[in-house]
Amino acid sequence: MSGVLFHEQTARQRIASLADAGSFVELLPPPERITSPYLAQLGIPVSFDDGIVIGHAKIGGKKIYLAAQVGQFVGGAVGEIHGAKLTGLFKAAARDKVPCVLIIESGGVRLHEGSSGEIAIAETMRAIFECRALKVPTIAVIATDIGAYGGIGILSTCCDYRIMTEHGRLGISGPIVIEKWMGKKAYDSANRALVWKTSGGKTKYLLGDADALAHDSPEAVRDAIARLLTKSSAVSLASVKARQKDLEKRLKKFGTTDDPDAVWKGMGVRDIGAASLASGPEFAALAKRGK
Amino acid sequence: MITAKTALRRQNKAQRIERVGKLARGKFVSPDKVPEILRRIIEPGDILCLEGDNQKQADFLANQLATLENKDLRDIHLVMSCITLPAHIELFKKGMIKQVDFCYAGPQGGAVADLVKAKKFPVGAIHTYNELYARYYIDLTPRVALIAAAQADRKGNLFLAANTEETPAIVEPTAFSDGIVFAQVNEIVDKLPRIDIPADQVDLVVQAPYPMHLQALFTRDPAAITDVQVLMAMVALRGIYEKYEVQSLNHGVGFNTAAIELLLPTYGERLGLKGKICKYWMVNPLPTLIPAIESGWVESVFAVGGEVGMERYTAARSDVFFTGRDGSFHSNRAMGQLAGHYAIDMFIGASLQIDINGNSSTVSKNRITGFGGAPNMGCQPTGRRHPTKAWLKAGAEANPGPGSPPGRKLVVQMVETFQAGRVPTFVEELDATDPSIRKALHGVTPVMIYGDDVTHVVTEEGIANLAACRSIAERQAAIRAVAGYTPVGLKRKKRETEDLRARGIVQLPEDVGVRPSEASRSLLATQDIKGLVRWSNGLYDPPSQFVDW
Amino acid sequence: MEKFAKAFPSKPLPSKTAKPWALAGVVGSGNLEVLVERGGRPTDTMQCHVETSIPGYKASWLAALADFAHHYPAGGTKVTINDQGAPPVLVNLRLRQAYDHLTKGDK
Repeated sequence: MSGVLFHEQTARQRIASLADAGSFVELLPPPERITSPYLAQLGIPVSFDDGIVIGHAKIGGKKIYLAAQVGQFVGGAVGEIHGAKLTGLFKAAARDKVPCVLIIESGGVRLHEGSSGEIAIAETMRAIFECRALKVPTIAVIATDIGAYGGIGILSTCCDYRIMTEHGRLGISGPIVIEKWMGKKAYDSANRALVWKTSGGKTKYLLGDADALAHDSPEAVRDAIARLLTKSSAVSLASVKARQKDLEKRLKKFGTTDDPDAVWKGMGVRDIGAASLASGPEFAALAKRGK
Repeated sequence: MITAKTALRRQNKAQRIERVGKLARGKFVSPDKVPEILRRIIEPGDILCLEGDNQKQADFLANQLATLENKDLRDIHLVMSCITLPAHIELFKKGMIKQVDFCYAGPQGGAVADLVKAKKFPVGAIHTYNELYARYYIDLTPRVALIAAAQADRKGNLFLAANTEETPAIVEPTAFSDGIVFAQVNEIVDKLPRIDIPADQVDLVVQAPYPMHLQALFTRDPAAITDVQVLMAMVALRGIYEKYEVQSLNHGVGFNTAAIELLLPTYGERLGLKGKICKYWMVNPLPTLIPAIESGWVESVFAVGGEVGMERYTAARSDVFFTGRDGSFHSNRAMGQLAGHYAIDMFIGASLQIDINGNSSTVSKNRITGFGGAPNMGCQPTGRRHPTKAWLKAGAEANPGPGSPPGRKLVVQMVETFQAGRVPTFVEELDATDPSIRKALHGVTPVMIYGDDVTHVVTEEGIANLAACRSIAERQAAIRAVAGYTPVGLKRKKRETEDLRARGIVQLPEDVGVRPSEASRSLLATQDIKGLVRWSNGLYDPPSQFVDW
Repeated sequence: MEKFAKAFPSKPLPSKTAKPWALAGVVGSGNLEVLVERGGRPTDTMQCHVETSIPGYKASWLAALADFAHHYPAGGTKVTINDQGAPPVLVNLRLRQAYDHLTKGDK
């Protein structure tokens, strides 16, 4: 029951443990010292990679572009340089027709840097759609409690696939923001069980927002990536409409419940207790995901 | 007016009970009558005992007491283990208390410091647990004791469930000296699972409108253990547990020792230490001990108290934990402290401040917390006669003189050189020596563990074996050597440190076979609370604030 | 923010290292990143540049860095640190990790 947990690794460690040994080549590496001029002006410590490590690597011998956000650094938030690296990587993926994998850990836009983060996220989404139009696979991995929120939450849903673990969270507004607007009665952000049962990886997998639920280990995440690296599909009006219909069905089915367990049950989980403790494929086996 | 002093005790008790009259039906009273009953049974000058330690609190009775005014209740000599509730502070603010004798003021440490400054806290002394319980039989025998139990039956027998804690230590001296025992219970039932306190030691019972306050105190989330703490744990395991073959021990509540517990089934197993160390424990049911228990390391655990969420697990593992004939967990604070005093090879704990002589304290100018039970265990019991391997080995190192015992208990302080916010742990002089604190305590500096009792100090820098030091100057040099980059540490002299290291008095991680680059959370048997639940086969029910599933 | 730079005497690095640079740690609360690069001059000093968000601890920084330069052959390295309030023990650990990566590669 011990070993290296994916959610406890740093961005660099994650990359090292996902990529084939020695295959990762970093673009704009730390010695180039491309750091945020805005944070420095505000007296906030800077980081040599501005919170995102990007480059190319191989997984199972197949070349990919690979990026990992650093959640500990200003919440993994997207500033100007961070955003430019992110956009550039997906543009390169489209240009070279090489699949692109993003290990997400971000609350969204870095507010200290004005709209540059917003613009970068919009441009990156455009690059993702370009990849998908060219059938270049795009994958987001969401595996930590920092999760994928705000603009990055939206961006993650633009990718072909999302891989999550039980630790990952996905949403647009964070729990505290929801509580602030809706009240503690509607959503208690201190209730960790509620937060994970509504935005955590298992629930997202049940609802079909995540395509794979992996164990919290680098090996399991790598296997999930390798399995999904083969296919991509263009975003079309038909696919968007179909998705919209799915969401309407979901709203009809669960829109009035305030018990997250009802959602689990509605998605085919019979033994809530056992499912709560299960992880990855074992959890998936306990549910018959209605998709 | 009749006072406690002029009347015979038994007669006096009868009069007090008579004054309750029709407010009670037999022993049983309704919650709304409690303030009036308290007013009638407590007299000016009384020694009043309020049950409450760092976990369990007779909070309903304390809250009712605090609704009274100075005209109802005054000149009270309050005796209690832990001042932890706002209601306790209220009694002082209302001027009811003429003297207080206690052990610990955890969450109210700041309020107590304020009361001391305002001269509204007439303290007799701050005690250790067993010291205070002992005085209940000598010069601090309660006239009235307000206690808490899980259940009462129709006769007034009490069931204390997992949190027996200090109830017997309060009830016995009170009941056997014609004092009044007043119990709040969570519920009244026809048949108790077992009887912990017999009805003839109980005078009054109230079913409280809310269950007694129970603090989850020993739940440490493995997710919060750092790599540095893992490093220290590895160093302690090799340099102390393995070296002395520590078989019986107590662990504090900190993350450092939680790291040790979680390393036993992994790193400890790899070192071949299973069956050689850590077999007999005097600790509360620590959730982080579950993996070691499930891996077969632990023979027995006796506890001073329970831990929220460990009820089903401890009942299922009655081969390890002490349980009643009903099958559920049993604890006893006074007996546990006694066991920790006499019957263990090692006490290991942490502290907020350690001075250059090895004295430690948790008192600062703005917080007066006190002691609790650590000093009962973190001291040399010179009344001990039975030998163990660890006791003799540590004793031999201390080079006993012709008039000293041949053995020593290992008393280990395990601290990081800095606390959160870069506050240095090591200081030239303790905050506790502040003149205003000493004055309030009648000249006594509130030292948690005395330097003379400490055998080892473990930090991320290494181990200082204080017991092996041959002079005060040497002990100070050994402490500076492991005090890292604190101001105390920066004063060390390279020469002295190298000499101490050559003699094995100071040991760096590499000297005990630990490579710091190896120290990683991934060595822990589990890295989060959910993992503990998995290890327990679903029998551990962690408190909700720790649950994210 | 407080910034300072200082060079410490240190035995020269081994002539071959696994990588030209190595980075350990991340910039986050109570943490820091350490970048160690080879190619510094002269080869018998370790040049350090520190930026820290918590001012007032220069003495313990310098003592920790001096100890590292004393214990490890790090002459000819450039050490650059971005700190967000890490305790000295972490400074030590990250220096050691970055140095190990530089000399022996990622393990």
